Amino acid sequence: MQESQAIIERVRRVAPTVLRLEVAVHRAHGAIGGGQLLLARVAEQYDPYLREMWQPIARRSETQLIIERPAVRDYTPGATVSLIGPVGKPVPLREGGRALLLVAAEASPTALLFLANAALAKGAAVALVLIGAAGRYPVEALPQEIEVHRVGDYAIWPERDRMLTWADQVVATAPPPLDTPIYVRLAEDLKRIRLQPPPELATVLFQMPMPCGVGACQACLVRIGGEDVPACTDGPGFNLFSVKLGG
Amino acid sequence: MLEIFAGKQSLRLAKPIMNAAGVMGFGGEYNKLIPPDTFGAFVTNPLTWRGLRAAEGMRVAALDSGMLIHTGLPNPGLQRAVQRYGARWANSPIPVIVHVAANTADELTACAGYLDGIDKVAALEVGLADHATHREARLMIGAARSRTQLPILARLPLYQAGQIAAAAVEAGADALVVAAPPRGSARDPISGRLIGGRVYGTWLKALALRAVGWVARNVHVPIIGSGGIHTPDDAREFLEAGARAIQLDSVIWIRPSMAALIAEDLTVGMMTRAANSLADDMYTGYIDPAARRAQLLPSPPPLPPPPTLPED
Repeated sequence: MQESQAIIERVRRVAPTVLRLEVAVHRAHGAIGGGQLLLARVAEQYDPYLREMWQPIARRSETQLIIERPAVRDYTPGATVSLIGPVGKPVPLREGGRALLLVAAEASPTALLFLANAALAKGAAVALVLIGAAGRYPVEALPQEIEVHRVGDYAIWPERDRMLTWADQVVATAPPPLDTPIYVRLAEDLKRIRLQPPPELATVLFQMPMPCGVGACQACLVRIGGEDVPACTDGPGFNLFSVKLGG
Repeated sequence: MLEIFAGKQSLRLAKPIMNAAGVMGFGGEYNKLIPPDTFGAFVTNPLTWRGLRAAEGMRVAALDSGMLIHTGLPNPGLQRAVQRYGARWANSPIPVIVHVAANTADELTACAGYLDGIDKVAALEVGLADHATHREARLMIGAARSRTQLPILARLPLYQAGQIAAAAVEAGADALVVAAPPRGSARDPISGRLIGGRVYGTWLKALALRAVGWVARNVHVPIIGSGGIHTPDDAREFLEAGARAIQLDSVIWIRPSMAALIAEDLTVGMMTRAANSLADDMYTGYIDPAARRAQLLPSPPPLPPPPTLPED
């Protein structure tokens, strides 16, 4: 974890609503893993006040990351950025896994793409399910090897049982407050479908705001095993079956 | 060096700067970003006698040049916190001030009594309720004073600071923290609901600065200024207003490196400024007061050229 400067080297608009930034970073930030993020401050001014939560989608080298951002503001090549991170713990790909199922509900699948690219590089099959508003994501920006399914709602996901049976590993993400109901249903389905789901089968990524990134402000607490733990230090990916969902 | 006396015990601050309660966790969370000896003291997140769980739902809302945060003061309870974090406090190179939040005088009495005699705790900071009256301030501070010899810092609510400062001092507060961040409401853009919580931002400085100035003129214990400090200049303004030390709040979250800059400027830059010597290299934003006045005030009109003398 450290704070250091980075430089935006290039900005590419891969779709009308999606930008990808090629960013030269400190080696410590270049070592980021899937599921982790960086807290970025682009301007010296205090508006926006909170740091942006940057999710890398790929690592070009030890010191270059590809960051995906929604195209709601401009980024200037050559601009200096203050980065804090890596925030959280990396989500490991399951050893020997050959089928990765990614589920993005009601928000962009950006947080899942680093894992998708890493799995593809290992020769695994990757399927991405975009539920609800996530279906607006421009799939042309995704690698062609990813099998994409768009569904209107979790409840009417037609291939749900078959895909949950197929997957060696499931990683899901949804924004608060929609995350809890989605994760509850996913956990129920996995317990119903899989006889003895292994603990590393399913991971959920929490995307609540993380003002500090070090577990001090307590804005990102998640209930795990009877205790509140910060998603920014112990997550943001948690074993689906260890999270206390639904209050 | 600032020393806050409480009878036989005192709190010594080698530097006039610390974090505000609720910002840096219970101990050690920020060690990788801010060296532990950057500040003169460390203030814990609020602790309650019985543990509290995190608030449900959205806890952060972005504001213009600020933010709103509502956590519900999650903490394991005072006794468990001492067991869990006591070793970190004992190893801290700077004094540890435990911030306690209580709804009743009985809870505060229990907290103060428990902390009294724990040598890894250097002082007690008591958070007073947002709408505390004179009577409530006297009751709460008096309850803590009755059970502890530790120096007591009373953190005053912003909008009540002027009204209850004297009462807190009369009841036994050894220093006043002016002030706690105020409460506000904002709409969560995802759920559409209004959420209420503490508000932080650059605009808070003007409000807190005024409160510091008023309280400093009317009570005679050390004032620790807090609220919206984001630059070394902000910190100096609080000291000029009458504070003997300052607390940093949300700037630690959004620009942790600024904490070291402000600390350096307060401990080294003050000497530089007083000696009217060159600007501190650490902070390129420093502007000599004379140069700043020249920038702000209109320059005098140019003199007319001297009349030419006729050639003989």
